[in-house]
Amino acid sequence: MAKMLFLPLLILLLFLFECESFSAENPTDRRLLVLVDDLAIRSSHSLYFKFLESRGYVLEFRLADDPKLALQRYGHYLYDGLVIFSPSVQRFGGSLDQAAVLDFVDAGHDLILAADSYASDLIRGIASECGVDFDEDPDAVVIDHVGYAVSEIDGEHTLIAADDFIQSDVILGEKKIEAPVLFRGIGHSVNPASTLVLKVLSASPSAYSASPKTKLSTPSITGSTIALVSVVQARNNARMLISGSLDLFSNRHEKSGNEQFVTEISKWVFHERGHLKAVNVTHHRVAELAEPAMYRINDDLEYSIEIYEWSGSSWKPYVADDVQVQFYMMSPYVLKSLSTDLKGLYFTSFKVPDVYGVFQFKVEYQRLGYTSLSLSKQIPVRPFRHNEYERFIPAAFPYYGASFSTMAGFFIFTIVYLYNK
Amino acid sequence: MHSLFQFFRIIDLAGMSRYRWILALLAIFYSSLSICTASIVRPISESHRSAALELFVPVDESFGSLENTYEALRTLEILGLEKTYDISRATCKAVLETLGSSPSITKDLFYALKVNGILKCQIEAINFEGIASNMLAVLKNANSLPDFYYSIGSLLLIKKHGFEVILPDSDGAFHSIKALSQSDGRWRYDSNGAESSTYAAGMALEALAGIVFLADSEVDQSMIGVVKNDIVKLFDIIKSYNDGTLYFNDKYVHSSDYKSPLEISAAVVRGVTSFAEVSSGKLNIPGNKILGLAKFFLSIGVPGSSKDLFHQIESLSCLENNRIYIPLVISLPGTVLSLTSRDQLKVDVTTVFGAAAPPLSVKLVQAFNSNSEGKPIIENQELHFDKENSIHYLDIASLKMDVGKYKLIFEVSLHNLEDESKYATGGLTSFSAFFTGSIKIDKGELAILNSDGGSAETIEKLDLSKDSFLSLSANHLQKFRLSFQLTTPLGHTFKPHQVFLKLRHETKVEHLFVIDSSARQYKLILDFLGLVEKFYYLSGKYDIELTVGDATMENSFLRTLGFVELDLPEPPEKAAQPPPQPADPYLRYGPKQEISHIFRAPEKRPPKELSLAFLALTFLPLIGFIIGLTKLGVNLKLFPSSPGPAAFSILFHAGIAAVLLLYGLFWLKLDLFTALKALCFLGPFLVFVGHRTLSHLASTSAKLKSS
Repeated sequence: MAKMLFLPLLILLLFLFECESFSAENPTDRRLLVLVDDLAIRSSHSLYFKFLESRGYVLEFRLADDPKLALQRYGHYLYDGLVIFSPSVQRFGGSLDQAAVLDFVDAGHDLILAADSYASDLIRGIASECGVDFDEDPDAVVIDHVGYAVSEIDGEHTLIAADDFIQSDVILGEKKIEAPVLFRGIGHSVNPASTLVLKVLSASPSAYSASPKTKLSTPSITGSTIALVSVVQARNNARMLISGSLDLFSNRHEKSGNEQFVTEISKWVFHERGHLKAVNVTHHRVAELAEPAMYRINDDLEYSIEIYEWSGSSWKPYVADDVQVQFYMMSPYVLKSLSTDLKGLYFTSFKVPDVYGVFQFKVEYQRLGYTSLSLSKQIPVRPFRHNEYERFIPAAFPYYGASFSTMAGFFIFTIVYLYNK
Repeated sequence: MHSLFQFFRIIDLAGMSRYRWILALLAIFYSSLSICTASIVRPISESHRSAALELFVPVDESFGSLENTYEALRTLEILGLEKTYDISRATCKAVLETLGSSPSITKDLFYALKVNGILKCQIEAINFEGIASNMLAVLKNANSLPDFYYSIGSLLLIKKHGFEVILPDSDGAFHSIKALSQSDGRWRYDSNGAESSTYAAGMALEALAGIVFLADSEVDQSMIGVVKNDIVKLFDIIKSYNDGTLYFNDKYVHSSDYKSPLEISAAVVRGVTSFAEVSSGKLNIPGNKILGLAKFFLSIGVPGSSKDLFHQIESLSCLENNRIYIPLVISLPGTVLSLTSRDQLKVDVTTVFGAAAPPLSVKLVQAFNSNSEGKPIIENQELHFDKENSIHYLDIASLKMDVGKYKLIFEVSLHNLEDESKYATGGLTSFSAFFTGSIKIDKGELAILNSDGGSAETIEKLDLSKDSFLSLSANHLQKFRLSFQLTTPLGHTFKPHQVFLKLRHETKVEHLFVIDSSARQYKLILDFLGLVEKFYYLSGKYDIELTVGDATMENSFLRTLGFVELDLPEPPEKAAQPPPQPADPYLRYGPKQEISHIFRAPEKRPPKELSLAFLALTFLPLIGFIIGLTKLGVNLKLFPSSPGPAAFSILFHAGIAAVLLLYGLFWLKLDLFTALKALCFLGPFLVFVGHRTLSHLASTSAKLKSS
């Protein structure tokens, strides 16, 4: 009997737990799976993990080759985010593999992937599926003989000081990162055709990617084209962070910008910033309130939309001056910037063009680092009805005058013609 | 500054499972040489103290549970920071509470006693006899290792508080703990088929040491000998990273009771050192293994968690004063030595806590150039000893070594023979060091050559110590030549790792050329004729950038040299297109240009006045007609005089007027259907009254004619 009671209770609990997780209304991730090569990373990177825990994330540490690994059970994902801090793993344990990781991302979940020198083919494979190609030479690391971290005990110049950040408050936070980021790891290049990948941290022009141990042949990537840390925002708004260094997240580099850099960018990756939602899309004729089923050409209409940004705990009004609406039929007929009341409401008014057909109100809002908003609402536009044209055109008055005077003449003529003697 | 760049080897090395076989090979290779390779480990320093103060912060005069309190107090005590916080009031209360409630859990009791050992709360208030007899009862019924461990530990602590504790059946307890040991030196937690673990071995050894200490009579020496043998076996399963650090780990990891290598190694060190303390004679453990363990603890650097810090500091303090071997750590304060600022090659030999080592001397046995291994450059150079800073040093200027990366092998020899059996130095220790210097760059020259035999079109001298802004021009039949010379401070040719020339077109298409050295100078000749295809036939301005850099070159540089205006032939039809350049993300996301619809212009109309004027004109004929009628003198004499026909006539004309009015209304507001409906009624009416009127008029006129 006790068992029978226990089971529904468990299901209820599980259900409650499920409710707390990732959703469109509450986009911040909650449960993170951290895959490591060696659980010692827990202590060597403890500041980073502590930061994540302090932001309310529940971390589950597992060895990357743990045979019981699984991302989903009965079709439900068990985690909202995946942190892969296991650069050397050749094969994941359990049911996890490259395809499972990519499916996880395709389902809208977030991923942090840290590689390192000796990154395995598996890690490289996942990265290249995300549009990031690590230097193929397995011994190559990023070297910079000009912009390196001065150290009395490290002479290879592989710990480089990088400060070429992407200029984006939403990705890296409003506070400027003053100290350079100390980076020791491998570089990658970003496919120039990809619009989803952004280089967040690039190497300086004097850097190159090569093995410090062997004589140099032509390096595959040099200078600012070397990306050290990149982010990807997929079309489903899943976010990925790909770093060529695991050491970047460690406790070791105290006086550098590393801590600020990784914490700020993690906030972004886990949707604490830059996640937008649009609600209450309304449009109506000027001086009316109800939304019509159809507009007539040359109508004056008002359009409004509310946009909010997720702040990690609540939806805050989003403030910008570059939200635009399109009145669109095959190509935009009207494209107008919306004015805002700084409380999340964006509005504008314009005249319906004198072309009839099936139009759309389109808001395509894509900004660096923000999730993209793509809304469209269909609305037909009809021409004038026969009785909606202008009725008394002054230019036609002579014609009217002529007919009516003829009619008056006819009337008089009938009387005169019949009764005159 | 050191702490900032302190090595944290675990991360680098943990990720190397793939290369384990290489490591194994390396390990064999190095063990055959018996040279301990270098990870730079440093003794416990100020950064540990500041980390401890950051990690152990009491909340409301308490560090939390008694176990955490003990860890905090013990760490702070070892680091000499015990006076930092005064938490005795709240903590002592918790200690007395725990000790007062006699049937409490042994583990809590154990930690309460440990905390009390440090804080020295009111001893009078504690019923030690009661606790001791309780513990003896627990010990008697104990069958799992933790029970043994905590009860013996508590008894030991009570004894240390100054109360007599007599262990009645020490041999029995010893045997029952020993019964849990495994053939490979590890222990099981209990006899019910638990897996054997290294962590348990550490606990067991500590418990056994406690029994030996507490025993009323001498414990059987043969049993101690067996345990000593177990310890040796335990040290056979020690694991190693490739930099010579050694650690213990357990194979089977369940995430629930997972113990990190640090925790396991710490437990073993505690157990082994305390057992060594109570057993007579020396444990047969090689000094290298003790040193390797010490290096493992130190290589962690400054841990980020309080637990890790406790384990690190406590096990190092166990190693600092143990009876087996006291590890001496050789470290180089700096491995990047500048020839320009005449740095000294310094070697520091200390204990793990940075205390001075016994008198010894350090010898630089050999120094190799890493690039050309084989013949050592220096052999058997004794280091000087600076008594004031207790540091061994060597002036590198006197070594006549050029810039480069070297492998230095040091040997430590103790002055007193009796120290040899007390301290572990690890024999030969090798480090790699960088000797950096300023490289002289001269004979820089940039020329554009004509293809015929190489007569020079333009030659420009280059000063590569600063940016220059040359402007050159060339066509595809000419050649480009860049040459310069690099010499080390000792006058040898220097071959840096990175010598790149970059040509960047206006469209950001880059071409990279690695410059090779020939003889004594670096020379690059670009024959544009052979390169047109590679350059995608892109004529125009190319920026020239030269990068020279090396790990040992202090003045590595990236210089812009100016630009060359290239005149290349037109591309043939099938020429390759230049690769696409990444779009600027800032431009890609900007707002779009606004679009507003252009409405159709309304038709042109005459001005209103003109229409009105013509309207007036249209009424003129009507007015003329009316005037004409009055001039003609029309009359209405034929209008019927009798009332019947007169009524019909009036109705007939009213009907006509109504039809005309309907026209007017139709124009003003009616639509066609309403107008036609009204006409349906008006029409027959008009026909009827019209017929009556007209027939009356016709009959009247017929009468007139006939009359």
